[in-house]
Amino acid sequence: MGNNKDQLLRDIGIVGFVLTDLSLYLDTHPFDRNAMEYFNHYNRIKHQMEKEFSMKYFPLTINMAESNKEWRWGMAPLPWEGECG
Amino acid sequence: MQDYLYDNNIDKFPVAMAYVPWQRFDKMYDDLEKAFCAGTIFPELDKPFTGRRCV
Repeated sequence: MGNNKDQLLRDIGIVGFVLTDLSLYLDTHPFDRNAMEYFNHYNRIKHQMEKEFSMKYFPLTINMAESNKEWRWGMAPLPWEGECG
Repeated sequence: MQDYLYDNNIDKFPVAMAYVPWQRFDKMYDDLEKAFCAGTIFPELDKPFTGRRCV
């Protein structure tokens, strides 16, 4: 195991979890600038990772689905095909 | 809404009520893999709950 695609997908999931936990904290502490800095930092990283994944493999979300030669969203594996972890 | 610190205002807290201390953001796990497995990014919330009984 551990090819680059699987690793990147897993890392995106982990950063997504970090953002979820930070957002839960910020929901009850909406003026905590330190937590907001962490959120902004990891949010930017997640965007970069999703963009990288989408360019190398397939778009994970519809907003990453810009296409030229073929409709990449439609060509992407479906969730039940086991490609999404 | 007024927040009171329990330490300084113990007489302002009605009796027979349960209070949850307010979480303050101090630091988060540097090792995100560890945080992911623990289910929280906050070391102070990483408790050894087993889902069955206390340890």
